[in-house]
Formats: sequence, structure tokens, C-alpha cells
Amino acid sequence: MPRRSCDFGNKLVFREGFPIVTYVQRAVWLLVACGVALIVLAALPVDAQTAAQATKDPAYRAFPVFGSRLAVWAVAQLHLNFAAFILGVPIFAVIIEAMGWRTGEARYDWLSHELVKLTFAAFSTTALLGALLLFLFVGYYPKFWAYMTSIFFPTYWVYALLFFAETFTVYLWYYGWNWLSGPRKWIHVGLGVLSNLFGTAILVVANSWVTFMMSPAGIDDSGALKGSVWDAMYNFTWMPINIHRLIANIVFGGTICAAYAAFRFLGARTAEERARYDWMGYIGNFIALAAFIVLPFAGYYLGREIYAFNQTMGITMMGGFMSWLWIIQAILIGVLFLGSNYYLWLGMERIPGSERYRKYVPPMLIILTVGFMIWATPRSMVVTLDEARAMGGTHHPLLGFFGVMSAKNTVVNLMILTTFLSFVLYRRANKIARKPWAKTGMVIQWAAFGAAAGVVVFYGVYGYFVESIVRIGFSVYQVLAVLAAIVLVMAIDIPMFKGARTTGQIRWGTIAPHSQYVLILLAVTFTWLMGLMGFARSGIRQHWHVYGVMRDTSVDAATPALGYAANVITLVTLAFFMLVLFIFWLGGLGERGAEAHGHAAPVIAGGRDAER
Amino acid sequence: MRIPVVVKVGAFAVLVMAAYSGFANSIPQIESKPPQELSLEGGNVTPAQLVKAGGEIFKTKGTCEICHRIGQKGTRAPDLAGIGARAAKTKPGMSAKAYILESLLQPGAYIVEGYPNIMPAVDKPPIALNRSEVWAITAFLESLGGTVDVTLNDIPASVGAGGAAAAAEIKIPGDPKAGEAVFQGKGTCIACHKAGKIGASPVGPDLSQIARIQTPDYIMKKILDPKGAGTVANYPPGVMPQDFGTRLTSKEYVDLVAFLLTLK
Repeated sequence: MPRRSCDFGNKLVFREGFPIVTYVQRAVWLLVACGVALIVLAALPVDAQTAAQATKDPAYRAFPVFGSRLAVWAVAQLHLNFAAFILGVPIFAVIIEAMGWRTGEARYDWLSHELVKLTFAAFSTTALLGALLLFLFVGYYPKFWAYMTSIFFPTYWVYALLFFAETFTVYLWYYGWNWLSGPRKWIHVGLGVLSNLFGTAILVVANSWVTFMMSPAGIDDSGALKGSVWDAMYNFTWMPINIHRLIANIVFGGTICAAYAAFRFLGARTAEERARYDWMGYIGNFIALAAFIVLPFAGYYLGREIYAFNQTMGITMMGGFMSWLWIIQAILIGVLFLGSNYYLWLGMERIPGSERYRKYVPPMLIILTVGFMIWATPRSMVVTLDEARAMGGTHHPLLGFFGVMSAKNTVVNLMILTTFLSFVLYRRANKIARKPWAKTGMVIQWAAFGAAAGVVVFYGVYGYFVESIVRIGFSVYQVLAVLAAIVLVMAIDIPMFKGARTTGQIRWGTIAPHSQYVLILLAVTFTWLMGLMGFARSGIRQHWHVYGVMRDTSVDAATPALGYAANVITLVTLAFFMLVLFIFWLGGLGERGAEAHGHAAPVIAGGRDAER
Repeated sequence: MRIPVVVKVGAFAVLVMAAYSGFANSIPQIESKPPQELSLEGGNVTPAQLVKAGGEIFKTKGTCEICHRIGQKGTRAPDLAGIGARAAKTKPGMSAKAYILESLLQPGAYIVEGYPNIMPAVDKPPIALNRSEVWAITAFLESLGGTVDVTLNDIPASVGAGGAAAAAEIKIPGDPKAGEAVFQGKGTCIACHKAGKIGASPVGPDLSQIARIQTPDYIMKKILDPKGAGTVANYPPGVMPQDFGTRLTSKEYVDLVAFLLTLK
């Protein structure tokens, strides 16, 4: 029975009436795509064999047309994007499922299932890209891979076993959704937790390889392993990267899920569907934002460990040829902060009672904009001689003061506090606290915000008058002040608004459509930022495969300039989103008629036509 | 006409990424190139040439400028203006060149007050200066207010060994014996170079220890592209033929490289 009425036009009616035409078209395109992929895959070993005949034991082979570095770069970035998604999403999916289990609200269970469905579809693509990356290393960088194997061979087995465990657990988690419901739900949630533990362990093992390349440890002067493989794994940057990637994966997963919801919202045909995906987009953004707030702290920890490992590497990263990269990073993070806040402010429009908080938006916007501008101010500019003379040096006499870490640490902490304030206001937009101590609670909350801002600004200014080694330590106090304020405010906020009087129900689905483009902007920006940070992490090794141990003597030993890197990142990000779109479309195929299988989408408040 | 959501969203995403890419392309483009190896051994180098080469290494491969300034106080490392004169007085009984060499090779042996112990040894990876380069940079630092009196013999023979070992060890499948024949015969290398007991011509640099002081990739590149690989100081440029790539067969080339790599 056709689901749509004929007012959509003849073409649609024809397709609805004869869906086989659409499927045949899609199948043909799918076959063409598979054919092209097969040709490319077949060409690789042929080319590698030809190259192998030319030299018996080569250190490198050349990937046709693009070159080996570009091939590895593209596949590695794609693999990491997918891996981040499938590792990040289950972390919050299981939390949401547990929330649904404990509260009995069906919408949480539906959302969790929806999220796992998305990761499930991306699972095999991640594995495929991982295998392709391995083939590229073995085929085109044999000497490098042989060296890595000489150090990390025992971990390969651990990785493979964990991958099996992860795969089977996720399969059981996904397919057992209905089977393990009701009184057996705790087993199901347990499976979700277990799959996350396996997934995180995989991340940790793979991180040991990549961090060893940056900050090798546990080896002698000749590069051979001295003790056990653990000494090589436990290198300077391993733990910071573990933490940074874990948090970043959650942010990434949140933004992609929010973008998916935005896409579905924009294409929704009923108010109910719009409400459902508006809610999903909000949750995705909330998760991304919550994790994003702590991400800069993990970044500082990583930066500190890079300096602790090797000052030259740290200085090259921040003050050498990569210094401009951090300006681009600042712009991207500024977009993320502004975008997230703007989405929250737009979202408040659909909450009755939020009008009383509108007055806070302009000052918050000013803090974010000024913070963004200061963060993006470079310390020293690459200038012509005339410009340098006019400026009195490579540092601008006034703006140069904003280019140092004291200013940047200060504004990023203030931006985090502002974003947190946005969230707090959003959270209480339709609530009025009824607790007798509410007034005192709010005074303490504002005092916590003020005190944290005071500490941040004080150490920011004080940092200009002390040596750099002392100044670095100040960032810890700034971070602790912000974190303490966040914890204190939430510790008061949760009980204070428990049983609060509501000023009206959130009208899900009535948010302005352009807000959905903000969610897409956030997803694209964060994905691009991941690519950029990957380039930074890899690029600081410069002409070394393994820093200071194994030199890159290939034709691609030079580290490219930012423009080239940005173009590659853009193309790979584009490829990622096209693949994601395709995978989600594939995942959606199974959805047709799925409502009969027990996962009917719940009705979200404000979404019913009758309630509008 | 109603534009499909996928097209609108796709165009928006492409626009955002194009903006980021456009900005990244609009800022100064700096590529980080791998450093070139400098070889001064076997050549007659004047102090002025040595200082010039050292100044270049100071700014490039040595990465000294990241922390040190000349005539400007740094926050990470001392000002090197006048170091040539100051070095002789810093540690009693130690000459300027000895102090400078100690600072380069064992930076933690003496820490200037007020600065952290962060300097890496310049002959170890990742900087990995070779013996010639340490010689040149010592001369450059001596020239900053002092007299250049450092000789190659002052540089310990062990300097740079770590760097050479750390560079990718390429096993050349060629036959060194056949390569020696190419060196003396078809390659006509012997006309200009000495290689251990073979040859005595002073036209080109002495290659008797070339495998110890140079990396395999430099040697391979130098044969195929002598001009591109640079000319050893104090030798006239453009003398070495550019056509070995076409004159020698691939086997002869590989054999020749294998032979040169035995010269330690």
C-alpha cells in the first residue's frame, strides 16, 4: 500500500508504486562502485609485485598515481574517523540505555537502539579500512612495518583477540535487544558495558603503536627492544593520547549522531518525526558539548607530555613550522563553541519560560567572540621586512600580548565557563525551583562562576610577570578552578531543580530549521578538526617514521605545508561523509517495516499533531 | 523546484570545508624539508667557509634558533652573542672550543644559571649532526666574539655514529666486489676519487670513509644527481658527471653503492 499521497507528484507516486525501479537503479550504482573498488584493490598487489621484482628487499614501494604517503594518509584518516565513531557512540548509547532501563522511559531505549544501529552499520567499514591500512603498510612501507612488528608483535595477538571479543559482544548487544529485554535487561546493559570495555582496550593497544612512533621508549640506541613490550607501550604520550582520544571519540560520536538527526529532521514529513529527531539532535549535541568542555584539558595534558618527552618536538609543534596550525585550530574550536552555544540559544526558543534568560545571551556572545579572537591571535607573524620594521619586530606591539599562552589559556577557560552557563540556563529554562534554599543555592552558583572566572583571569594576568616554567603550572590552577565550578554548580543544580515547577513542556520539533544546519556545521567542523589534529600529531615527527630512531628516507620525507594538508583533509572528510551517508542509507533499508519488529519509535512531547 | 535535503546539506558541508581549506591555503605555506647532510671531511676548508656552513646549520638542521637567539635574551636558552669569548672563561681550565663542544655533545654537563636543562645532544637523533656539521657549528659559535681554532681532529670520532646508525639501514643487494670494478672501470670514479687503497687523485673528495660519514641515501643520490646533492666545500662545482643514471646499468649502480658502503 503506498504510504504517500499523490500530492508529492507523479514521479514519486510512480516510485512508490514501482519501488523495484528505484532498487534496480541503486543496485546498478552499487555494482559500479564495487567494481571500481575491486579494480583499485586488484591493482595494488599487482603494482607491489612489479615493484618487488625491481628491487629484492626495498624499504619503500610507490603507490600508483597518488604516492604512498597520500594513500596511507587518506586510508588512515578514514579508518580513524570510522573507528572514533564506532568506539565513541556505544559509550553514551549504553548510558542512555541504562537511563531508559532505570526510568522505564521507552524513548531512551529507542534512542540507544537507534545509536547502536548506526554504529553497527559502520562496524564492518571500520574493519575493512583497518585491513586496507595494514596492507598499505606491509606493501608500501615494508621496512618500517617490519621494525614496528619487531617491537609490537605480541600486541598484535591481543589486538586480534580483543577485536573478536568486541565484534561478538556488539553483535549480541544489537541482535539481543528484544531477546534480552524485560527482566533480562540487566544482562543486555552489561553486554553494552562489556563491548565498551573491549572497544576501549582496542583503542589503547592501537594507541601504543602510534604513540611509540611519536615518543619511542623501551629501546636501546640501535632501536631494539630492551625489556618487555610493555616498556615500549608505556611511552610518554600513550596515556595522554588514550584520554584525549577517548573523550574526542565521544564528542565526535555525539556530533555525527546530532548531524544524522538533523538530516532526518530536515527530511521529516510529520510533526512526530520532527519532534523525535529534534530530541535526538539535542541529545547528540548535549553529549558532544559535555565531552567537548573537558577536551582542551586533555589536550594540555598531551602537550605537556610532548614537552616532557622532547623539548625540541614540543617547540617545533608550537613555535616551529606548525605554529600557524594552531591558529586554524583556534578558528575551528571557536566555531564549535559559538555553534554549540547558538544551537542552545535557538533551542531555548522552543521552551516556554525561557524568555527570562534572553538577557544573558548578548554578554555571553561577547565573551565567546572576544575569546575566539584572542585565541586566534598569533604570537609572531610571518611578515615581510617592511612590515616587520613598521611593526617594530615580528610581534605586534599590542596584539602580540594576546598571542601568548597566558592569554589563550585564560580565554579558553572563560569560553568553557560561558558554554557551561549556556547549558545551565537551557537546563532550567522551563523550570522554577521550589526548594526553600533555592535562593541561597543560586547565589552560591553565581559565586562559583565568579570565583572561577576570577581565578582564571588572575593567573592569566600574573602569567605575564613570571618565567615560562612557572607560567605553565598556572594552567593547572585555571583548569581546576573551572572544573571545581562545574562540579559545584551541578551538585547544587540537580537537587535544586528536582520536583521543580514547570512553565511548560518543551515543544520538540518546533525549533527553527536553520538550527539543524548548526548541528551539521558542528559535525563537519569537528571531523575536519580531527583530520587537522591527526596531521599535527603525525607531522611533528617530521622526517622520522619513529622519532629519532627510524628516519624517513622515502621521497615523501618532507612534511607538507598547511595548505596541502588542508586540501587532503577536506577531500578525506568529504569521502567520509559520503561513505557515512551510504552506510546510513544501507542501515535505513533494514528499518523499513521494522516497526513491526518491536522497536516502534516513541512519541516525543510536542510532536503529536494533536498537541500542536 | 524543490531542492532535495541531501543536496542542500551536501552543498552546505562542502562550503564549510572549502572555507577551512581556503583559509589554510591563504596563510604562509611552510614545508618542513628533511635536512641535507654536509660533508667537509677530506676537503681543505677555510675558517670562513666553516663559519658560513656552521651559520647555516645553526638556522636549519641544528634547530638551534628555536631556543637560542644571538643578541637577544631568550626565555628557554641563553643569548649566544659573544659566546666565542665567554666560553673560554666559563669553566676554569677549559678552552673555548672544548666548552662549546661539551655544550653541544653533553648539554647537561654545565647549565647556565636561570635556564632549564632542556637542550638535546646535537649529535644524537632527532638532530643527529654528523662530525663535519659539529665541526662547522663549533667554528660558527667560536666566531661569535672569539677566534676560530677548532679542527676536525678536535671532534671526537664517535660523533654522529648514533645518527648514522639510526638512519634507516638499507641493505643494498649489490656485489661490493663488482662495484669496486665499476669504480675503477666503467664508472671512472677513480679518475677523481681515492677510496682506501684504490686511487690517489685529489680532484674530488677522498671517499675512504664515506660510509661512516654519509648516509646511504646521500651516496645513492650523489651518484645519480651530483648537482642536486650539493658540492663538498672547497671543491669546484659541476665537475662530477651528471649522466651516471643513464651510463650505468641498474646492476652496476647497485654494485657501486654496495662497494661505497663498505668504505668505513
